[in-house]
Amino acid sequence: MRKPKMFSEFFKNNGLLMGGILMFLVSFWIIVLILLPQLSMLDFSFRYNLPPALQGTEADSYTLDNYRYLVFGPEGASDAFNKVDLMVFVRTILAAMAVTVLNLILCYPLAYFLGQSKGGGFIRLLVIMLVIPYWINEILRAFALRIIFGDGGVLNGVMMSLGLIDQPYDFINADIALYAGLGYAYILLMLFPMYNVIESLDRNQIEAARDMGASWVRIHRRIVIPHAKPGIASGMTMVFMLSAGALAAPQVLGGTSSLWFTQLVYQWFNDTLNWQQGAAYAIVLLVASIAIVLGFMKIFKVNMGDIGK
Amino acid sequence: MSSGVDVTLDNVWIKFGDFVAVREANVNIKGGDFFSFLGPSGCGKTTILRAVSGFLNPSEGRVLIGGKDMAGIGPNKRPTALIFQNLALFPLMKVWENITFSMEVKGASAVERRKRADELLDMIALQGQGDKLPSELSGGQKQRVAIARALCAEPDVLLLDEPLSALDLKLRQHMRTELREIQQRVGITFIYITHDQGEALTMSDSVAVMRNGIIDQIGDGHAVYDTPATPFVASFVGENNVFRGKISAINGNEAVIATNRSGELLSRITPAAVGKLKVGDDAMMFVRPEVLNVGEGTDKTTISAKVLNEEFEGNSYSVFLEGNGGKRIKMAMPNMGQNQHSTKGEVVSFSYDVNNAVVMPAGELASE
Amino acid sequence: MRSNILFGRVALAVYLVIFFGYLLGPLLVMGLTAFNSAPFPSITPWQCYTYEWFGALFQDERILNGIKHSFIVGIGTVILSVSIGLAASLVLTQVWPRWRSTYYTIIIAPILIPGVVLGISTLVFWRRVSEVFGENAAFLNNGLFLTIIGQSTFIASYCMLVFVARLQRFDTGLTEAALDLGATHTQAFRKIMLPFMRPAIASAAVLAFLASFENYNTTTFTFGAYPTLTIELSQMVRYGINPSISALAVIIVALTVFAALAAEVYRRRSKIKSGDIKPGKGLPAWMFGNVATILLVALSFVVIAMVYSAQAYSPAQCKIDYKAERQIENQTRIEALQKARREARQNAAPLESITSEPPSQGAGAFGSVFAPTNLEDAAGTGSEESGTPEAPASPFGSVFAPNNLEDAVGAGKN
Ligand SMILES: Nc1ncnc2c1ncn2[C@@H]1O[C@H](COP(=O)(O)OP(=O)(O)OP(=O)(O)O)[C@@H](O)[C@H]1O
Ligand SMILES: [Mg+2]
Repeated sequence: MRKPKMFSEFFKNNGLLMGGILMFLVSFWIIVLILLPQLSMLDFSFRYNLPPALQGTEADSYTLDNYRYLVFGPEGASDAFNKVDLMVFVRTILAAMAVTVLNLILCYPLAYFLGQSKGGGFIRLLVIMLVIPYWINEILRAFALRIIFGDGGVLNGVMMSLGLIDQPYDFINADIALYAGLGYAYILLMLFPMYNVIESLDRNQIEAARDMGASWVRIHRRIVIPHAKPGIASGMTMVFMLSAGALAAPQVLGGTSSLWFTQLVYQWFNDTLNWQQGAAYAIVLLVASIAIVLGFMKIFKVNMGDIGK
Repeated sequence: MSSGVDVTLDNVWIKFGDFVAVREANVNIKGGDFFSFLGPSGCGKTTILRAVSGFLNPSEGRVLIGGKDMAGIGPNKRPTALIFQNLALFPLMKVWENITFSMEVKGASAVERRKRADELLDMIALQGQGDKLPSELSGGQKQRVAIARALCAEPDVLLLDEPLSALDLKLRQHMRTELREIQQRVGITFIYITHDQGEALTMSDSVAVMRNGIIDQIGDGHAVYDTPATPFVASFVGENNVFRGKISAINGNEAVIATNRSGELLSRITPAAVGKLKVGDDAMMFVRPEVLNVGEGTDKTTISAKVLNEEFEGNSYSVFLEGNGGKRIKMAMPNMGQNQHSTKGEVVSFSYDVNNAVVMPAGELASE
Repeated sequence: MRSNILFGRVALAVYLVIFFGYLLGPLLVMGLTAFNSAPFPSITPWQCYTYEWFGALFQDERILNGIKHSFIVGIGTVILSVSIGLAASLVLTQVWPRWRSTYYTIIIAPILIPGVVLGISTLVFWRRVSEVFGENAAFLNNGLFLTIIGQSTFIASYCMLVFVARLQRFDTGLTEAALDLGATHTQAFRKIMLPFMRPAIASAAVLAFLASFENYNTTTFTFGAYPTLTIELSQMVRYGINPSISALAVIIVALTVFAALAAEVYRRRSKIKSGDIKPGKGLPAWMFGNVATILLVALSFVVIAMVYSAQAYSPAQCKIDYKAERQIENQTRIEALQKARREARQNAAPLESITSEPPSQGAGAFGSVFAPTNLEDAAGTGSEESGTPEAPASPFGSVFAPNNLEDAVGAGKN
């Protein structure tokens, strides 16, 4: 009863033509671009990888094999579990969390500094300098770090010529380059949401607290951080989701001995051409990271509406 | 110019969810009248105006313009033009484009529009300012541009939502006369909203006084001021001394009220309450400060009280008195050049003409 | 107290330097590698100052094609995602309060869904749709179409956020005023809402284009026969690098800085015009306005000077000298290395002879660059192995697969 009324009101407020266009665009986006592809990927992940001739025949039925594979590995394997892939999964999630926390620590002071300064030329200069790295390609950003961290890279060159080390240190295989690259890749998505909320904090509040003798630590803990919570949550959510789902940085900066979960997905699709298996892996990644984010949002009492502010 | 047409609200109710913003409104506005809705903030004035202009539909009842039911007709199809509470000038358009927007949407040529804009700019005394942006105008100028923009649409009914509230006192007084002049010149129906009773009284042919979504009284300025229909109207429009008590006698159009603290007083029954008062009813009597005169009258129209203090207000003095039991009374005395009217602490007797006092059933007063 | 403040300032300065060093340092280094004649991107050792990589860049068919595809995809994505984002934000302001948070969750979700997942789901879904429609709907499987669709899915969310921020400052009274004056809904939208949204549309378009241009995660699944620049770059990074990639980065950064400075100068000028800045007041802004102008002019000069000198300057002689110098140095090194790394010998030697690069460093850089790729290639044969990140026996073993080497060298000599 209420829904039709909502629609008629919508068309009354927008007119038929405009309302129709708006409706069309939004439903096209939500249904055709967002929901159906996800659903069809979900459906796909429950199917066998069949040659085209067999598709649509009786053999083309639903199965849990693709998920079973991730957990238990191929049939007849010596291990009870698919240790390798599971380890990659766990490592990806943990490392993405670590990257998120490091990003938070690195960005908070700058967000505070930018948010509480009164603007002006210097601040705008800083903002421009912040944005410039993000106008160039994700691949190039990772590549720039590769130049620095590679065996023959700048860092090794400098350290060797300083005599600090006599053999190139393998930053790549130690995953240092990867973490630096992941942090680098999404740092702005941590910074700007925090900056936005801190900017909206009334300076008088801080001054009042200082007037009452609060220490800097206390001011941040009791006033700034509670106020900035939506921004922090928003930034952390984005950085975590994007780091866990990153592909470029691991491909360029990852060590030989450690893969990122997305690389497994990529391999299933592009190397093994087993899309169904890849879809299952992608679903696992998606569901796991969403569950983690929702869990943390629940713990810290953050609303979905705060994300993206 | 189009001549004014009638606007009728026929038993209009407007609800937002469970909240009733307008309750049973019945209003007949004559074509070419300057009609005001007067009431405190949040009483539903804007809501009524939005129902007339078509931005919201009455939950019940009908809105008729020129005798035609407006149900299902959108705001862009009604012969009304609304001047918004915050003016809503288009910030990115020049003044002349703002003024002639209604022609632009009908596809008039730029030359035509420019010509019309110049005429209207002349009318609102803003010659040669058509190429400014709204942000480059003063408050009063913006006001006039908003009026010109609405008039350019050649509406049959012009709706004005507190258009003067943002202006300072001087400008507001100036704009009042200007608005009234414009209305007389173009001769269309004006429906004007305000919470300023001075504005309503000076400009309107008719005033509707509203309280919490209810229209308490409709009448011309005199009627509303001199013969208020409810205690709310009596206390909201102008200043009034209120005496509470019980009716002790009724004689035709007059009644005696046994007041709580000031003895028995005689008063005219307000026309709206004639026949509705009985002996023993709770009642309120209102006497305006300016109808109180020093000196004794009859024993039922005389009050005595002690002078508390006196304030000079330019054209008059306000004398604040304390009657029996701490009853506060205010009296206004014209300034005739004397230094002061009374001495502090002095006990004075004063009286009023029975025709200048009204009594009515007790009810809600305007706050403040 | 004073020393406290001083300490705070110093700490802040140090922190800012570290932060921006982290952010800009890698770019600076990469920029420098564009001017080093070493055949793969490095600044140590510095060989010869050269412009050859810019030349190589503009002759690289694949990069040029990639740029073309990126532009097509970018423009398509901008159109699609800006209109979707605008519509979604307008609907958001009107959705019933009780539906609002659900609706918002749905339209914000694409930002949070990993790009890989978006790419895969787009690919899978449209493959199915095209199966339903059969041969005559081949465009549904077209790489450009899929990439535009896949990218727009989440870029529309970014656009939507830009519009929502702007809409918060919109006075709905303006639309009502227009309707009241007789405008149709479409006219009210075109004449009132659109002009108001224009700045936001411009920034959303820029944002959408940049996001599309740099997107890798989604595109890598959808590009089909139309690799974008990012895809080409990733292939180059994986299968053979030469500093023309750095040259491309230098160009992009220069364009960015140019645009930022120009925007700043423009901003400053329009502010002076509108009288927002009074000389003497707000000195930093005033100075920055000037600084921006000066920098803009200086940057233009540097670029012109570089382009001009590139015509005349030739690093040929320097290269010959360097080569000779290195040859001697290498001889001694190689002998030492041959002992240390026996397995590497056969591989390192040919490389040295072709590129005249110190094998230890050259090998190292290539080694780690190509390792993951080779691993993947090798693993491609058996799915069970794909997840087994088995390190090659030696960093050099699989690294110098002959064709990789050729690729790399070929690119280097380009
Ligand atoms: N869209 C709405 N939804 C719910 N309640 C509303 C809505 N619009 C108005 N109201 C309520 O209706 C009542 C009347 O509002 P209205 O705007 O008509 O007041 P007003 O008399 O114009 O006041 P003011 O003089 O302050 O402008 C108020 O209590 C207001 O909160
Ligand atoms: Mg109002």
